[in-house]
Amino acid sequence: MMEKRVKRSDEPIWWALFSAGGVCFAVFVPAAILFIALLIPLGLLPAETLDFERSRGLLFSFPGLIFIGVVICLPLFHAMHRIRHGLHDLKLGRDKTNKVIAYGAAIVFSLLALLGFVLGIM
Amino acid sequence: MTTKRLSIQRYLPEQSKTPFWQEFEVPFDDSTSILEALNHIKEDMDGSLSYRWSCRMAICGSCGVMVNGEPKLGCKSFLREYPGTISIEPLAHFPVQKDLIIDMEIFLEHLAAVQPYLINDSQDSNQTHKQTPAQLAKYLTFSDCINCGLCYSACPQFGLNPEFLGPAALTLAHRYNLDSRDQGKAQRMVQLNREEGVWTCTFVGYCSEVCPKSVDPAAAVNQGKVESAKDLLINLFKR
Repeated sequence: MMEKRVKRSDEPIWWALFSAGGVCFAVFVPAAILFIALLIPLGLLPAETLDFERSRGLLFSFPGLIFIGVVICLPLFHAMHRIRHGLHDLKLGRDKTNKVIAYGAAIVFSLLALLGFVLGIM
Repeated sequence: MTTKRLSIQRYLPEQSKTPFWQEFEVPFDDSTSILEALNHIKEDMDGSLSYRWSCRMAICGSCGVMVNGEPKLGCKSFLREYPGTISIEPLAHFPVQKDLIIDMEIFLEHLAAVQPYLINDSQDSNQTHKQTPAQLAKYLTFSDCINCGLCYSACPQFGLNPEFLGPAALTLAHRYNLDSRDQGKAQRMVQLNREEGVWTCTFVGYCSEVCPKSVDPAAAVNQGKVESAKDLLINLFKR
């Protein structure tokens, strides 16, 4: 009765990425939206704040790499984790397949973002 | 005396394969509990109604039922709290044996799986263990569980997969892991680390809402996730 097949879950890895992404979603993503999608388009900040030269300089630097991590990569893992568990709750698809697609997508898009960064600094 | 209508889900497997609803008009006042209403029905109206109960004071944890779709202790819910007809069903997510009586076997198996007792093999284990108030405070709230099973009825993940150890068992595991007198954490972590251990939980939190003893199983399970994640990290560096 007690000694069932005992296998460690790999969920801690996805849960850790989900948690880190959650913090980013709560702290950094709203800040990014505030500046890029609200303050600048509304003219509350001068348009030159993020002109081409300035934003290129900001993005393709070490702080830019961190920006990509906290605004794109980690939130991607957070969102895909929610989607995967949402699908499980709605009994849609098989969890193993959903897992590969969800985290696979998060990994692919994170790598694309990092590839863009590498191309930019070269 | 005013009366209230109770609609009770009956299931008599020796008479019919499908459950049916039966209505009763029960006299009540401000102090009438759901359990007392059930007792009134059994004594004066229909002696064939079956349900579990014992202490009638929220200690034994036997009289859990769904009241208007919510897991409740019959003795701790009162007719005055519900306007209109009150629907009573057996606890959700468990197999029903008869009327309001559920089969709790899987719940008891999950409890046993986490070894919810002090494990201590040290030389002085036959002596009285001393514990400071601070050490007691670490696990005290998690030790109030009465094994009523309401949190299992509330948990959508247990509803989807009954192999999930579930809120009460995981809370008890956490309660003993936090106990300064205990040395069984390594044995229990094996169960917590499983897919059906802490990791099936998606932190819905309804378990903590329905808990009649305010144990807060959702907190215990999620602290268990942190412990399980730490356990994975430590194991990576051990080899």
